[in-house]
Amino acid sequence: MSDLSLTDVFLTGMLTYGPPAFGLALLLGALGVPLPGTLFVLAAGAFGRQGIIDLAAASGLGLVGAVLGDSAGYVVGYFAKGWVARRFGHSTAWQNAQQTFEHRGGLAIYLTRFLLTPVAVPTNLIAGGSGYSFWRFLSYDVAGEFTWLILYGGLGYIFGSQWEAINQFISDFSGLLVGLVLFGAGLYLLLRRRSQNRRARQKWSTAGG
Amino acid sequence: MTPSDKRGPARSRWEQRLTIGLIILGLILIGFFGFRAMRSFLRIQFTGLEPGVTDVELIRGWMTVPYIATAYGVPEAYIFERIGVPSADNQTKSLRRLNADYFNGEPEAILTAVKAAIRQYQAERPPPGADHE
Repeated sequence: MSDLSLTDVFLTGMLTYGPPAFGLALLLGALGVPLPGTLFVLAAGAFGRQGIIDLAAASGLGLVGAVLGDSAGYVVGYFAKGWVARRFGHSTAWQNAQQTFEHRGGLAIYLTRFLLTPVAVPTNLIAGGSGYSFWRFLSYDVAGEFTWLILYGGLGYIFGSQWEAINQFISDFSGLLVGLVLFGAGLYLLLRRRSQNRRARQKWSTAGG
Repeated sequence: MTPSDKRGPARSRWEQRLTIGLIILGLILIGFFGFRAMRSFLRIQFTGLEPGVTDVELIRGWMTVPYIATAYGVPEAYIFERIGVPSADNQTKSLRRLNADYFNGEPEAILTAVKAAIRQYQAERPPPGADHE
């Protein structure tokens, strides 16, 4: 019991100070401080069931905290845009990434709020840095964070005192999903590269023959 | 050779490294978290989830006495009395903090005392209908 952690400090804070401590924990987590946001949401749901915390106030302050933290990440990315453009602006890969984010960024923002949570902070930075519209970012962000609070807060409420067991599974499953997404992206690049090489060889042999 | 021609091989190398990196990192994460997810899923299946369960083994160092009192249905004053800690100024402190303040930081001392207090209370006052089961 000697290893005091920041997570424990916030859990005690939630019991003592209620929704403001919960909102602060989610704000810091969204800013990139290594805090387990999903664990706090599950705990808030369980505390709500036990009558320890006011669920309506916790949902409101939690949403405000998470959205403020995400927006701050977007702003940091936005101000780093100049540096990124100077450094990578000429790169076709970066231009392609920007275009891709412009078209599919909404889905990425929404899914990283509650399903692929380990990559939420980098997504905020990329959204700001790629010039993605702030209002579009905000609308997908609010929708995603709301889903996160309802989904995991609901699980915490349903499973009550056993929320810790659920948290372990959710955290591991989320890591597994991120692994699958990265592997899928690598596989996609590999297949695209092979197809490009095949086309180039065919073109070359046609021109030569 | 134009500058864009020079960039071609460099870009190709960069993409190749990115592709290999993504596949390797993806596989590592799939292996690591896949194993852990399977293990935690089996653990949940094995133990079963009973939302109303208030097992004293779930008491943690971050919990406060008022929270434990509410969660386990034991009067706050009873727990403070049994563990020998005054309730004044100690209601917002975690068990970990109380352990440091009143048990000389002796590991697990307060956890053992709180668990014993709750078991004692539950033994003295069994829940209604428990004797008919």
